[in-house]
Order: sequence, then structure tokens, then C-alpha cells
Amino acid sequence: MKTKLSNFFKKIIFLSVLIIPNIVNADFFKDITAKIADNPKRLSYGISVADIDQNGKYEFIVTGFGYPNLALSYENGKLINIANQNIFSDESRKTIGVAACDVDRDGYEEIYFLNTDTYSGTKKYSDRLIDLVGSKFLDMFEIKKNKEDLNLTAGRSVACVDRKGDGKYGIYVSNYGGPTRFYEIENKKIKDKSVNLNLDKVTGGRAVVSGHILTDRSDIFAANERGANFLLKNNNGVFEDLAFNYRVDDVIQNGRGTALSDILYRGRLDIISGNWQGYHRAYVLKDNQFKDIGNSKFDKPSRIRTIISADFDNDGYDEVFMNNIAEPNKLFKIRENGKFEEIKLETGLEADGYGTGAAVADIDNDGILELLVSRGESKEQPLTLYKAKIDKQTKYLRIKPINKFGAPARGATVTLISNQRKHSKTIDSGSGYLCQMEPVAHYGIRKNEKDFKVEVKWTNGSKDIIKIDSLNQTIIVKQK
Amino acid sequence: MKKNLLKLLVIFFVLIQFDSISEEKNYHKELIADWSRIFPDQNRNAGGPMFFKYIIDKEITYKDFKEFNKLYCAVSGSLIDPNAEPDFIYANESKSGEKICGDYYKCCIPCSCDIMKYSEVEKMKHKFLDGLKEFYVFTIRNPCNKKDFPNRVNKNYFCDGEKINDDQVYSLNDKLVIGLLHEGRSCKKNDIDFVNSHQVTGRFCEFRNNTPLENLKTGMGDIFIKLAR
Repeated sequence: MKTKLSNFFKKIIFLSVLIIPNIVNADFFKDITAKIADNPKRLSYGISVADIDQNGKYEFIVTGFGYPNLALSYENGKLINIANQNIFSDESRKTIGVAACDVDRDGYEEIYFLNTDTYSGTKKYSDRLIDLVGSKFLDMFEIKKNKEDLNLTAGRSVACVDRKGDGKYGIYVSNYGGPTRFYEIENKKIKDKSVNLNLDKVTGGRAVVSGHILTDRSDIFAANERGANFLLKNNNGVFEDLAFNYRVDDVIQNGRGTALSDILYRGRLDIISGNWQGYHRAYVLKDNQFKDIGNSKFDKPSRIRTIISADFDNDGYDEVFMNNIAEPNKLFKIRENGKFEEIKLETGLEADGYGTGAAVADIDNDGILELLVSRGESKEQPLTLYKAKIDKQTKYLRIKPINKFGAPARGATVTLISNQRKHSKTIDSGSGYLCQMEPVAHYGIRKNEKDFKVEVKWTNGSKDIIKIDSLNQTIIVKQK
Repeated sequence: MKKNLLKLLVIFFVLIQFDSISEEKNYHKELIADWSRIFPDQNRNAGGPMFFKYIIDKEITYKDFKEFNKLYCAVSGSLIDPNAEPDFIYANESKSGEKICGDYYKCCIPCSCDIMKYSEVEKMKHKFLDGLKEFYVFTIRNPCNKKDFPNRVNKNYFCDGEKINDDQVYSLNDKLVIGLLHEGRSCKKNDIDFVNSHQVTGRFCEFRNNTPLENLKTGMGDIFIKLAR
């Protein structure tokens, strides 16, 4: 009798275990906002992660709308603002979009600040392209020869594009109510090349990502409002819009946060695109068309802003963080076969948060990503900082590709190949909404995973394979 | 007893698992995703026929067909919210002149008046994945030879010269099919009384249908009426 009862309860326990994966309710994040040394209420927007002082450490660059732009550096357990020059802080210009990349091929990244003092159309103040010369920041657009092509149209996001694969980055400026701009340095002068490259379309530009989406070069996906999205195929450095052909035009939805993600863990980058109070898309390429495989929990309309795809908890599966404005944030784990499993947030929910941007980086260099959320727009709020609540024993691997000029190879694709997966990540060129992530491919390691190697596909399409002998490290891969 | 309890628990857990992996088809999302294929120039004015053609050409079940047809307005061409409630209306059948009652999903109330006054219904048969089904569709007369074809409607969608363009829209007996009358059936007297006394299909429609065309500001204004009259 006792044995029978025991068997009965064993079966019950077994069945209960079966349903546990569907109820992921343990608190995922811990709030580490207190690590931000000085964190007043303000109107913040886009965030980028770059090394502003050329010391080999990344900073969170946080834009301010009528508030100073910040560069938060991790020092002695705290995030401290190290930006103290007016040209960088630039409180008067109302910055919202930001991206960094090496436009002048000196091996260090310049910072593009997109300023916007009006919702749409012509604006008063142009953008800035900040370069560090010696110990001083200068705005390259303030040099006389660079003043011909200033961006005087309201805009939103920016992304860096190495369109020829030669390490010479251009900057795609997603404008609103005026033509898209594409800035490059040509003959030592900043030129808008959007007309020659078929990029000068007028739309309600919102978000932009660039990477190996269709070709072995840097393609571009731009999520737009009041108009079709763009999927710009790179044909030898000139672009062709194929959004309609690939079924990602989504013409009556209003695009917002966008990210490249290997949704099926199959060794290619697909597209996650959030729509403002519309269906959020998880586009997966199949038979030369993108198919939206987001389930009903994932695609549920919300007041979406930034979207980030990253492995916060180092379990080897990416999460998708959806930052909503004046509405609770959401988090999903991408399981095998593109199944989006919602993780109920308690910490990081920010139901009353006016989220405007977010970025990830392992800013404290402990192998676990930090998530910085900026807030503002219609209500001044402080920044918030989160980190997954996980066991320190989890394993990770971080790959940092550096191009032949010594700069972060933004737009390159890193693929981790193991006995369990082939998992691609982009070296972020600009993503989310107004934002840009750290230029490192961060992988958590799965249970029983082994036989690791990493492939780096550079922006010119060439590939290098690196054998991995040990985990829990950041490997710098230099382009030959 | 224990065995039965265990069986029940197994069924319960299997259902929970099934529920977590099964996904209801999202018809609204599909129409939004394909919008630029339904309306290549993005002009959806009076675009019911484009929706109908797009849906009838799909390889779908009859249930899918009905669900898709709840999501656009046959008069205006607007998408309709998935939770919208239909109006109970009637329209005359072309051949018999008999009043056919049923549900009409509209974007706004003036469209219910316009469809009752300016369209006719016809019985149509179609083979779906789950078999041949018969149903009523709203039709309007071939508008392609109209001299006052409304300029805010894309004539190229509907017409090939003076003929209906069957590659892009669906026609039935040289009439343009603009949408589906849901749960269509011959009206009974109390159905007609209900429609005629309803605050929208009765009182409001009487007012709208007696308003001179040039004074119509609500709904689609005069666009659909010019196309259909």
C-alpha cells in the first residue's frame, strides 16, 4: 500500500516537473541602480557603449534631452560620469540618438550624437560627430570644410555601416520627415553620400540596424513610422530596398526598437522588430522571405521603445528585453525552434517608467551583462541598472573582434559553434531604439555544452575560425 | 479510483502543455503583414473588393474565410478591430429582391447604412480546404463604365477597361463582390422590424440615407456611394 502510494506521488511529481518550464516566475533581475554614483532625475534617451577615453574600457554613453550627455565609467564599484567637456555634454542641443564607430580609421571610435529639437522636418541644431584629439573632444562637424552637409532634419536613430567592408565606417542617420543621411569621410571631408547610395528617402525614420542580414556585407534594416520599413541589400556598397520582396515592409505598423538576433540558433542573424502599439515581429528568413514567428505573447502590441536580444543569465539562450514607455517592460527567453517563453518580471518591470532607451555591456567585467535603462520623454526620471540574478558559477565566453585598423568591428558577425548550437551574434552597429550595445559577442554556456569554436565573419565577408580552449574569458580577435 | 485520478491528471497536464504550445491563428496580424500586397499603392479607399479577393484566393478553411472577412469594412476598405461587434442588417438579393438578413462587420456606423442602401447580396459557392460551402456576399454593379468613377478610388484595382478585372477582384454575374454577409439567411418579419427600429440601422440610417450626397461628411463620405450607386 505504502509503495503504491509512493509510486502515485512520484508520478504526480514527474508530471509537475513537466509543466514547470511553462511557469518561469522567479525574479530574473536584481536592481543595482545604486551603483550609479550620481543619478538625478532627467530626460535621457539613447545609450551607446564605447570607449570614449581610449583606455580600453567601455563606458555607457547616455544622451540627454536638454540635459548633459553622460559617459558612465565603471570605477571602484560605481558608475561615474567622466564626461566633463562641454562639447560632449552639450546640454543645449537635445540629443536622442547615439552610435560610435571609427569613421576616420585611426583605430578609435568617434561618437555620433543625433540632436533633435523638433518632432519632424527641419531642426535648429545639427548633429555632432565627436572625436578625441589628444585629451580634447572636438566636433568634426564644426570644422569649416565639414559644414556643407550638416543634418538639419529631425531624426531618431543612427547606426554605423562599413558598406565596402574596408573598415571605413559611414553613419546612417534615420531622419524623420526629411531624407535619410549617410555620412562618410571622403578626401578628409565629411560628406553626405545618401543620394549616391540610394538611401536618401523621406520617411518617418525610427530605428536602424546593420549587419549580415542578406549578404556577406553590411546590409541595413530600418524600421519606419507612417511608411514602409527598409531592408537595404548591400550590392557592392550601394543599397537596394527589398523590404517588400522579403515581406518586412510592414507598411501600416509604426516601427520602433529593432535588433538582430539568431532566433533559431542556426548560425544566421534574423530580425526582431517592435511596432508602436502594433504587433512585434520576430522575422526569420525562410525561402527568400522573412516569416514572422513571434507567438501571441511576444507579438502583443505595446508602447515599445528599445528591444535588446542578449543572454543576460548566461544560460546559453538569448533573452529579448522589451522596454516599454509608461507601460511595464517585458522579457522573453528564446528557446529552441524560435519559441518565445515569457519571463515574468518583478524587478525591472518599471510599470511607471518612461523608458526611452537601453543598452547592455559587461561594464564591471565579471562575465555577466549589465542592463542600463534610460528614461524620460514626458517625465524626468533617473537611470536604472539591472543584472540577472544568477549563480556566479555560470560560464561564459566573450568575443571582441577588432578590425584591421584596431577599432571594434561593428557589423561583423560572431558565431559560436558547439555540440549543441551554432549561434550568431552581431557586433552591434546600432540597435534597439536610438541605442547601440557593446561591440562584444557575449555567450552564456549551456549545460553539458562542449567542443567550442568561434567563427568571425568580418564586414568584408571573410571568415576566421578560432578554437576555444577555455571559457570565462574575453577573447580579442584581430582581423588580418 | 487512483487510476482514474491519475488519468485525469495526465489529461490535465497534457492539455496544459498543449495550450502552451498551440497558437490561435492571428487573422488580423496576417492582414496587416500583407497590407502592401493587398493594396500595392496603399490606397485602400472602398477597398473591400481587394480584401475579398485576397482572402478567397487563400487555401484556407471556411472558418478561416469567415474570420478574415470579419476584419475589414466592405464599404471603406478599413481594417476592423478584432473585437468589433457586427451590425445586424439586411440587403436585397439581386435575383429575387428578397431581403437577406445577417451580420455586417463595419468600421463605423454610416457604412452599415451605405451597404444596406447601395449593395445587393448574391449567393456564392466556393470550395475551401474543408469542402464546398455556400454563403451570401455583398455585391455592387460593375462600376468600370462609370463616367463619375470616384477619383479617390484606384480604378486600376477594379477595372480592366470597362470590365471588372478578375485578376485583382472577384466578380459574380458581372457584379463586383465587396465583402461577406455573415450568417446570411432570409429575413423574418421580426428581423426586419429589428433592423428598422434599431438606433443605427433604423433611425440613423434613415437620416443618412435622406441626406444629399454633397452633405455627407461621415463614414466614407460620398466615395463608396459614387462607386456603388
